[in-house]
Amino acid sequence: MTEDGSHNPGGMWRAWLPGIVLIVIALAQVTLAKTAELSPWKGGGFGMFASTDVTASRTVRVYIKRVDSWEPLEIAPSHTVHATQAKLFPSNAMLTRLVLAVVSREQSYSRPVNAVTVEVWRTEFGIGSLEAKDRLVRTFTYRVDQSAD
Amino acid sequence: MSIKALIKPVSDLGPGEIALRLTAIALLLRPTGPWSVRPVIIALAALVLLVPVVMRAPATWFALSGLVTARIIWDWPIPDNHLYLLAYWCLALALALGSSNCQRVLSASSRLLIGLVFLMAVVWKAGLSTDYLDGRFFRVTLLTDPRFEDPTLLLGGLTANQLHNNRHYLEPAEGSKRTPDGPTLVEPPPFRRLVVLLTWGALITEGLVAASWLLSFAVWPLNLRHPLLLMFCAGTYAFAPVAGFGWLLLAMGLVSCPPERRVWRAAYIAAWILVLLYAEVPWAQMLLDV
Repeated sequence: MTEDGSHNPGGMWRAWLPGIVLIVIALAQVTLAKTAELSPWKGGGFGMFASTDVTASRTVRVYIKRVDSWEPLEIAPSHTVHATQAKLFPSNAMLTRLVLAVVSREQSYSRPVNAVTVEVWRTEFGIGSLEAKDRLVRTFTYRVDQSAD
Repeated sequence: MSIKALIKPVSDLGPGEIALRLTAIALLLRPTGPWSVRPVIIALAALVLLVPVVMRAPATWFALSGLVTARIIWDWPIPDNHLYLLAYWCLALALALGSSNCQRVLSASSRLLIGLVFLMAVVWKAGLSTDYLDGRFFRVTLLTDPRFEDPTLLLGGLTANQLHNNRHYLEPAEGSKRTPDGPTLVEPPPFRRLVVLLTWGALITEGLVAASWLLSFAVWPLNLRHPLLLMFCAGTYAFAPVAGFGWLLLAMGLVSCPPERRVWRAAYIAAWILVLLYAEVPWAQMLLDV
Protein backbone atom coordinates (compact mmCIF):
# COMPACT_ATOMS: atom_id res chain seq x y z
CA MET A 1 0.00 0.00 0.00
CA THR A 2 1.50 3.32 -1.02
CA GLU A 3 1.26 6.55 0.89
CA ASP A 4 -1.72 7.65 -1.19
CA GLY A 5 -3.44 4.32 -0.62
CA SER A 6 -2.71 2.81 -4.04
CA HIS A 7 -0.56 -0.22 -4.86
CA ASN A 8 2.46 0.29 -7.06
CA PRO A 9 4.15 -3.07 -7.59
CA GLY A 10 6.13 -1.65 -10.51
CA GLY A 11 8.06 0.59 -8.18
CA MET A 12 9.63 -2.36 -6.39
CA TRP A 13 12.48 -2.36 -8.90
CA ARG A 14 13.89 0.32 -6.62
CA ALA A 15 14.13 -2.26 -3.86
CA TRP A 16 15.79 -4.84 -6.09
CA LEU A 17 18.39 -2.67 -7.82
CA PRO A 18 20.93 -2.28 -4.97
CA GLY A 19 20.80 -6.03 -4.35
CA ILE A 20 21.33 -6.75 -8.02
CA VAL A 21 24.35 -4.47 -8.07
CA LEU A 22 25.69 -6.28 -4.98
CA ILE A 23 25.32 -9.67 -6.66
CA VAL A 24 26.97 -8.54 -9.89
CA ILE A 25 29.95 -7.04 -8.07
CA ALA A 26 30.24 -10.04 -5.74
CA LEU A 27 30.22 -12.50 -8.63
CA ALA A 28 32.87 -10.46 -10.41
CA GLN A 29 34.95 -10.51 -7.23
CA VAL A 30 34.67 -14.27 -6.86
CA THR A 31 35.69 -14.71 -10.49
CA LEU A 32 38.73 -12.47 -10.09
CA ALA A 33 39.68 -14.12 -6.80
CA LYS A 34 39.61 -17.58 -8.36
CA THR A 35 41.19 -16.73 -11.70
CA ALA A 36 43.37 -13.66 -11.17
CA GLU A 37 44.60 -13.86 -7.57
CA LEU A 38 42.45 -11.02 -6.23
CA SER A 39 42.55 -11.12 -2.45
CA PRO A 40 39.37 -12.71 -1.01
CA TRP A 41 39.16 -9.87 1.52
CA LYS A 42 38.76 -7.20 -1.15
CA GLY A 43 36.64 -6.37 -4.14
CA GLY A 44 33.13 -6.48 -2.68
CA GLY A 45 32.66 -10.21 -2.41
CA PHE A 46 32.33 -10.17 1.38
CA GLY A 47 34.99 -12.84 1.79
CA MET A 48 36.66 -11.11 4.74
CA PHE A 49 37.28 -13.24 7.83
CA ALA A 50 37.14 -16.32 5.58
CA SER A 51 40.76 -16.74 4.51
CA THR A 52 44.32 -16.28 5.73
CA ASP A 53 45.03 -14.55 2.41
CA VAL A 54 44.96 -11.07 3.96
CA THR A 55 46.80 -7.93 2.92
CA ALA A 56 49.55 -8.54 5.47
CA SER A 57 50.21 -12.06 4.16
CA ARG A 58 51.15 -10.76 0.71
CA THR A 59 54.40 -9.01 -0.09
CA VAL A 60 55.84 -7.26 -3.10
CA ARG A 61 59.52 -7.53 -3.97
CA VAL A 62 61.03 -5.25 -6.57
CA TYR A 63 64.31 -5.90 -8.36
CA ILE A 64 65.96 -3.44 -10.67
CA LYS A 65 68.52 -4.05 -13.38
CA ARG A 66 70.94 -1.17 -13.76
CA VAL A 67 73.56 -2.22 -16.29
CA ASP A 68 74.57 -5.87 -15.93
CA SER A 69 73.21 -6.93 -12.58
CA TRP A 70 69.97 -7.13 -10.65
CA GLU A 71 69.58 -5.58 -7.23
CA PRO A 72 66.67 -5.45 -4.79
CA LEU A 73 64.92 -2.10 -4.50
CA GLU A 74 63.05 -0.87 -1.45
CA ILE A 75 59.61 0.44 -2.29
CA ALA A 76 59.49 4.20 -1.88
CA PRO A 77 56.81 5.66 0.40
CA SER A 78 55.27 7.42 -2.59
CA HIS A 79 54.73 4.01 -4.24
CA THR A 80 53.13 2.31 -1.25
CA VAL A 81 49.59 2.57 -2.61
CA HIS A 82 50.61 1.22 -6.02
CA ALA A 83 52.47 -1.64 -4.34
CA THR A 84 49.49 -2.49 -2.16
CA GLN A 85 47.14 -2.45 -5.13
CA ALA A 86 49.53 -4.67 -7.06
CA LYS A 87 49.89 -7.25 -4.30
CA LEU A 88 46.14 -7.42 -3.70
CA PHE A 89 45.43 -7.82 -7.41
CA PRO A 90 48.58 -8.71 -9.38
CA SER A 91 47.17 -7.99 -12.83
CA ASN A 92 49.27 -6.74 -15.73
CA ALA A 93 47.73 -3.28 -15.36
CA MET A 94 48.44 -2.98 -11.63
CA LEU A 95 51.98 -4.34 -11.95
CA THR A 96 52.72 -2.13 -14.94
CA ARG A 97 51.58 0.94 -13.02
CA LEU A 98 53.92 0.09 -10.16
CA VAL A 99 56.81 -0.62 -12.49
CA LEU A 100 56.36 2.60 -14.44
CA ALA A 101 56.28 4.56 -11.18
CA VAL A 102 59.55 2.90 -10.14
CA VAL A 103 61.18 3.58 -13.52
CA SER A 104 60.03 7.19 -13.48
CA ARG A 105 61.46 7.75 -10.03
CA GLU A 106 64.80 6.16 -10.88
CA GLN A 107 65.09 8.20 -14.06
CA SER A 108 64.19 11.39 -12.19
CA TYR A 109 67.27 10.78 -10.01
CA SER A 110 69.32 10.08 -13.16
CA ARG A 111 69.92 6.50 -12.05
CA PRO A 112 70.23 3.95 -14.85
CA VAL A 113 67.48 1.37 -15.17
CA ASN A 114 67.32 -1.30 -17.86
CA ALA A 115 64.57 -3.47 -16.45
CA VAL A 116 62.38 -3.93 -13.41
CA THR A 117 61.01 -7.18 -12.02
CA VAL A 118 58.17 -7.32 -9.52
CA GLU A 119 57.39 -10.45 -7.54
CA VAL A 120 54.19 -10.92 -5.55
CA TRP A 121 54.46 -13.47 -2.74
CA ARG A 122 51.87 -14.94 -0.41
CA THR A 123 52.43 -16.63 2.95
CA GLU A 124 50.48 -19.87 3.27
CA PHE A 125 50.06 -22.04 6.36
CA GLY A 126 50.10 -25.82 6.38
CA ILE A 127 47.21 -27.87 7.70
CA GLY A 128 47.85 -29.06 11.25
CA SER A 129 51.34 -27.70 11.83
CA LEU A 130 50.56 -24.21 10.44
CA GLU A 131 54.05 -24.25 8.98
CA ALA A 132 54.40 -20.99 7.10
CA LYS A 133 55.76 -20.98 3.58
CA ASP A 134 55.95 -18.24 1.01
CA ARG A 135 54.51 -19.00 -2.41
CA LEU A 136 55.30 -16.96 -5.50
CA VAL A 137 52.01 -15.70 -6.88
CA ARG A 138 53.18 -13.68 -9.86
CA THR A 139 56.39 -12.47 -11.52
CA PHE A 140 56.33 -9.49 -13.84
CA THR A 141 59.32 -8.08 -15.72
CA TYR A 142 59.40 -4.81 -17.60
CA ARG A 143 62.26 -3.95 -19.90
CA VAL A 144 62.59 -0.23 -20.25
CA ASP A 145 63.59 -0.28 -23.89
CA GLN A 146 61.15 -2.96 -24.96
CA SER A 147 57.97 -4.17 -23.26
CA ALA A 148 56.62 -6.18 -20.35
CA ASP A 149 56.97 -9.92 -19.89
CA MET B 1 13.52 10.67 -12.14
CA SER B 2 13.18 14.43 -12.60
CA ILE B 3 15.35 17.02 -10.89
CA LYS B 4 12.34 18.10 -8.89
CA ALA B 5 11.87 14.54 -7.64
CA LEU B 6 15.57 14.33 -6.70
CA ILE B 7 15.39 17.31 -4.40
CA LYS B 8 11.82 17.09 -3.16
CA PRO B 9 11.98 15.63 0.34
CA VAL B 10 9.73 12.82 1.44
CA SER B 11 7.26 14.08 3.99
CA ASP B 12 7.21 11.16 6.39
CA LEU B 13 9.83 8.50 6.84
CA GLY B 14 8.65 7.03 10.10
CA PRO B 15 11.27 4.77 11.69
CA GLY B 16 13.39 5.14 8.55
CA GLU B 17 14.39 8.59 9.72
CA ILE B 18 16.34 7.07 12.59
CA ALA B 19 18.21 4.82 10.16
CA LEU B 20 19.14 7.81 7.99
CA ARG B 21 20.50 9.65 11.01
CA LEU B 22 22.45 6.59 12.17
CA THR B 23 23.94 6.24 8.71
CA ALA B 24 25.01 9.89 8.75
CA ILE B 25 26.55 9.50 12.20
CA ALA B 26 28.48 6.47 10.99
CA LEU B 27 29.83 8.53 8.08
CA LEU B 28 31.01 11.18 10.53
CA LEU B 29 32.57 8.71 12.95
CA ARG B 30 34.41 6.84 10.21
CA PRO B 31 35.11 9.37 7.46
CA THR B 32 36.46 7.81 4.32
CA GLY B 33 38.16 8.74 1.10
CA PRO B 34 40.98 10.88 -0.29
CA TRP B 35 41.00 14.65 0.24
CA SER B 36 38.98 15.22 -2.93
CA VAL B 37 36.06 13.18 -1.61
CA ARG B 38 36.28 12.95 2.17
CA PRO B 39 35.37 16.53 3.15
CA VAL B 40 32.35 16.47 0.85
CA ILE B 41 31.12 13.24 2.44
CA ILE B 42 31.62 14.68 5.92
CA ALA B 43 29.84 17.91 4.99
CA LEU B 44 26.88 16.07 3.47
CA ALA B 45 26.61 13.78 6.48
CA ALA B 46 26.59 16.79 8.79
CA LEU B 47 23.90 18.46 6.72
CA VAL B 48 21.81 15.28 6.91
CA LEU B 49 21.78 15.64 10.68
CA LEU B 50 21.28 19.39 10.74
CA VAL B 51 18.82 20.02 7.89
CA PRO B 52 15.77 17.71 7.61
CA VAL B 53 15.18 18.70 3.99
CA VAL B 54 18.66 17.51 3.07
CA MET B 55 18.17 14.25 4.98
CA ARG B 56 15.01 13.40 3.10
CA ALA B 57 16.09 14.44 -0.39
CA PRO B 58 17.01 11.59 -2.76
CA ALA B 59 19.77 13.72 -4.29
CA THR B 60 21.66 13.69 -0.98
CA TRP B 61 21.92 9.93 -0.91
CA PHE B 62 22.61 9.64 -4.63
CA ALA B 63 25.50 12.01 -4.05
CA LEU B 64 26.78 10.04 -1.06
CA SER B 65 26.52 6.78 -2.99
CA GLY B 66 28.43 8.35 -5.85
CA LEU B 67 31.12 9.77 -3.59
CA VAL B 68 31.65 6.47 -1.78
CA THR B 69 31.78 4.69 -5.14
CA ALA B 70 34.38 7.19 -6.33
CA ARG B 71 36.38 6.47 -3.20
CA ILE B 72 36.25 2.73 -3.93
CA ILE B 73 37.33 3.18 -7.53
CA TRP B 74 40.14 5.61 -6.58
CA ASP B 75 42.03 3.03 -4.51
CA TRP B 76 40.65 -0.20 -5.90
CA PRO B 77 41.08 -2.92 -4.67
CA ILE B 78 42.30 -1.56 -1.32
CA PRO B 79 38.91 -0.40 0.13
CA ASP B 80 37.23 -2.74 2.58
CA ASN B 81 33.95 -4.48 1.85
CA HIS B 82 31.88 -2.35 4.19
CA LEU B 83 32.44 0.59 1.85
CA TYR B 84 30.77 -1.38 -0.93
CA LEU B 85 27.83 -2.03 1.39
CA LEU B 86 27.76 1.66 2.29
CA ALA B 87 27.55 2.59 -1.39
CA TYR B 88 24.74 0.09 -1.98
CA TRP B 89 22.89 1.30 1.14
CA CYS B 90 23.12 4.97 0.14
CA LEU B 91 21.81 3.98 -3.31
CA ALA B 92 18.96 2.07 -1.64
CA LEU B 93 18.12 5.14 0.45
CA ALA B 94 18.14 7.39 -2.60
CA LEU B 95 15.91 5.06 -4.60
CA ALA B 96 13.48 4.56 -1.72
CA LEU B 97 13.23 8.28 -0.94
CA GLY B 98 12.29 8.88 -4.58
CA SER B 99 9.53 6.29 -4.57
CA SER B 100 5.87 6.69 -3.77
CA ASN B 101 6.12 4.09 -0.99
CA CYS B 102 9.38 4.88 0.73
CA GLN B 103 8.98 2.70 3.80
CA ARG B 104 7.98 -0.41 1.85
CA VAL B 105 10.78 -0.05 -0.68
CA LEU B 106 13.37 0.70 1.99
CA SER B 107 12.33 -2.26 4.09
CA ALA B 108 12.52 -4.59 1.09
CA SER B 109 15.91 -3.34 -0.10
CA SER B 110 17.45 -3.50 3.37
CA ARG B 111 16.19 -7.05 3.81
CA LEU B 112 17.70 -8.05 0.47
CA LEU B 113 21.04 -6.36 1.14
CA ILE B 114 21.41 -7.90 4.61
CA GLY B 115 20.50 -11.34 3.31
CA LEU B 116 22.88 -11.16 0.35
CA VAL B 117 25.82 -9.88 2.41
CA PHE B 118 25.51 -12.79 4.81
CA LEU B 119 24.90 -15.24 1.98
CA MET B 120 28.17 -14.21 0.31
CA ALA B 121 29.99 -14.45 3.64
CA VAL B 122 28.74 -18.03 4.04
CA VAL B 123 29.60 -18.90 0.44
CA TRP B 124 33.16 -17.74 0.99
CA LYS B 125 33.62 -19.49 4.32
CA ALA B 126 31.95 -22.78 3.47
CA GLY B 127 32.59 -23.08 -0.26
CA LEU B 128 35.32 -20.90 -1.68
CA SER B 129 37.94 -20.58 1.03
CA THR B 130 40.58 -23.31 1.25
CA ASP B 131 41.57 -22.64 4.85
CA TYR B 132 38.45 -21.77 6.82
CA LEU B 133 36.58 -24.99 7.62
CA ASP B 134 39.73 -26.75 8.87
CA GLY B 135 40.20 -24.01 11.45
CA ARG B 136 43.38 -22.54 10.01
CA PHE B 137 41.85 -19.11 9.52
CA PHE B 138 41.10 -18.49 13.19
CA ARG B 139 44.21 -20.35 14.38
CA VAL B 140 46.39 -18.00 12.34
CA THR B 141 44.31 -14.85 12.82
CA LEU B 142 44.07 -15.12 16.60
CA LEU B 143 47.82 -15.59 16.82
CA THR B 144 49.00 -13.02 14.29
CA ASP B 145 46.43 -10.19 14.09
CA PRO B 146 47.28 -7.61 16.80
CA ARG B 147 43.65 -6.52 16.91
CA PHE B 148 42.75 -9.91 18.39
CA GLU B 149 45.64 -10.02 20.84
CA ASP B 150 43.73 -9.01 23.96
CA PRO B 151 40.77 -11.37 23.41
CA THR B 152 43.21 -14.18 22.57
CA LEU B 153 45.14 -13.66 25.79
CA LEU B 154 41.91 -13.32 27.75
CA LEU B 155 40.08 -16.34 26.35
CA GLY B 156 42.71 -18.52 24.69
CA GLY B 157 44.72 -19.55 27.72
CA LEU B 158 47.98 -18.24 26.25
CA THR B 159 50.56 -16.15 28.02
CA ALA B 160 51.99 -13.08 26.32
CA ASN B 161 55.28 -14.92 25.89
CA GLN B 162 53.61 -17.91 24.26
CA LEU B 163 51.74 -15.59 21.91
CA HIS B 164 54.98 -13.88 20.97
CA ASN B 165 56.69 -17.21 20.28
CA ASN B 166 53.72 -18.42 18.25
CA ARG B 167 53.94 -15.32 16.08
CA HIS B 168 57.61 -15.99 15.52
CA TYR B 169 56.78 -19.58 14.58
CA LEU B 170 54.23 -18.38 12.02
CA GLU B 171 56.77 -16.28 10.16
CA PRO B 172 58.06 -18.06 7.05
CA ALA B 173 61.48 -19.62 7.76
CA GLU B 174 64.48 -18.43 5.73
CA GLY B 175 64.80 -20.68 2.71
CA SER B 176 61.87 -22.70 4.03
CA LYS B 177 64.23 -24.46 6.45
CA ARG B 178 63.26 -24.56 10.10
CA THR B 179 66.01 -25.14 12.67
CA PRO B 180 65.56 -27.82 15.36
CA ASP B 181 65.86 -25.26 18.15
CA GLY B 182 63.46 -22.83 16.53
CA PRO B 183 60.14 -21.72 18.03
CA THR B 184 57.37 -24.28 18.47
CA LEU B 185 53.64 -23.76 18.21
CA VAL B 186 51.75 -23.73 21.51
CA GLU B 187 47.97 -24.13 21.35
CA PRO B 188 46.48 -24.95 24.76
CA PRO B 189 43.00 -26.54 24.99
CA PRO B 190 41.20 -23.23 25.68
CA PHE B 191 42.73 -21.82 22.50
CA ARG B 192 41.66 -24.82 20.44
CA ARG B 193 38.15 -24.62 21.87
CA LEU B 194 38.05 -20.91 21.04
CA VAL B 195 39.06 -21.67 17.45
CA VAL B 196 36.32 -24.28 17.04
CA LEU B 197 33.74 -22.01 18.65
CA LEU B 198 34.60 -19.05 16.43
CA THR B 199 34.94 -21.10 13.23
CA TRP B 200 31.60 -22.87 13.44
CA GLY B 201 29.80 -20.23 15.48
CA ALA B 202 30.47 -17.57 12.85
CA LEU B 203 29.51 -19.87 9.97
CA ILE B 204 26.29 -21.12 11.55
CA THR B 205 25.22 -17.70 12.77
CA GLU B 206 25.85 -16.08 9.41
CA GLY B 207 23.98 -18.88 7.68
CA LEU B 208 20.98 -18.42 9.94
CA VAL B 209 21.04 -14.66 9.43
CA ALA B 210 21.19 -15.10 5.64
CA ALA B 211 18.31 -17.59 5.67
CA SER B 212 16.11 -15.55 7.99
CA TRP B 213 16.51 -12.35 5.97
CA LEU B 214 16.18 -13.91 2.51
CA LEU B 215 13.41 -16.43 3.11
CA SER B 216 9.87 -15.19 3.44
CA PHE B 217 7.76 -18.26 2.81
CA ALA B 218 7.62 -19.40 6.42
CA VAL B 219 6.99 -17.77 9.77
CA TRP B 220 10.22 -18.77 11.49
CA PRO B 221 12.46 -16.55 9.39
CA LEU B 222 10.38 -13.50 10.29
CA ASN B 223 10.42 -14.30 14.00
CA LEU B 224 14.16 -14.94 14.13
CA ARG B 225 15.31 -12.26 11.71
CA HIS B 226 15.82 -9.39 14.15
CA PRO B 227 17.13 -11.33 17.17
CA LEU B 228 19.65 -13.17 14.96
CA LEU B 229 21.02 -9.97 13.43
CA LEU B 230 21.15 -8.26 16.80
CA MET B 231 22.89 -11.26 18.36
CA PHE B 232 25.39 -11.39 15.51
CA CYS B 233 26.27 -7.71 15.82
CA ALA B 234 26.42 -7.75 19.61
CA GLY B 235 28.77 -10.73 19.58
CA THR B 236 30.88 -10.16 16.50
CA TYR B 237 31.82 -6.54 16.90
CA ALA B 238 33.11 -7.11 20.40
CA PHE B 239 36.01 -8.82 18.61
CA ALA B 240 35.99 -7.75 14.96
CA PRO B 241 37.34 -4.21 14.73
CA VAL B 242 35.00 -3.11 11.95
CA ALA B 243 32.46 -0.97 13.74
CA GLY B 244 31.42 0.75 10.50
CA PHE B 245 30.14 -2.55 9.15
CA GLY B 246 28.15 -3.23 12.30
CA TRP B 247 26.61 0.24 12.28
CA LEU B 248 25.48 -0.23 8.69
CA LEU B 249 23.90 -3.61 9.35
CA LEU B 250 22.07 -2.27 12.39
CA ALA B 251 20.75 0.80 10.55
CA MET B 252 19.53 -1.48 7.77
CA GLY B 253 17.94 -3.89 10.20
CA LEU B 254 16.19 -1.09 12.06
CA VAL B 255 14.54 0.16 8.89
CA SER B 256 12.95 -3.27 8.44
CA CYS B 257 11.19 -3.13 11.79
CA PRO B 258 7.44 -2.58 11.47
CA PRO B 259 6.44 0.81 12.93
CA GLU B 260 4.60 -0.81 15.83
CA ARG B 261 7.65 -2.86 16.93
CA ARG B 262 9.14 -0.23 19.24
CA VAL B 263 11.00 -2.78 21.35
CA TRP B 264 12.98 -4.01 18.35
CA ARG B 265 13.76 -0.46 17.27
CA ALA B 266 15.02 0.32 20.76
CA ALA B 267 17.10 -2.86 20.65
CA TYR B 268 18.69 -1.80 17.38
CA ILE B 269 19.58 1.61 18.75
CA ALA B 270 21.00 0.01 21.89
CA ALA B 271 23.06 -2.39 19.77
CA TRP B 272 24.32 0.50 17.65
CA ILE B 273 25.55 2.23 20.81
CA LEU B 274 27.02 -1.06 22.07
CA VAL B 275 29.10 -1.39 18.89
CA LEU B 276 30.27 2.18 19.42
CA LEU B 277 31.37 1.29 22.95
CA TYR B 278 33.17 -1.81 21.67
CA ALA B 279 35.09 0.40 19.25
CA GLU B 280 36.02 3.06 21.78
CA VAL B 281 36.50 1.15 25.05
CA PRO B 282 39.45 -1.29 25.27
CA TRP B 283 37.33 -3.77 27.21
CA ALA B 284 39.58 -6.79 26.61
CA GLN B 285 42.67 -4.93 27.79
CA MET B 286 40.77 -3.73 30.86
CA LEU B 287 39.74 -7.28 31.72
CA LEU B 288 43.31 -8.48 31.25
CA ASP B 289 44.55 -5.82 33.66
CA VAL B 290 42.09 -6.89 36.38
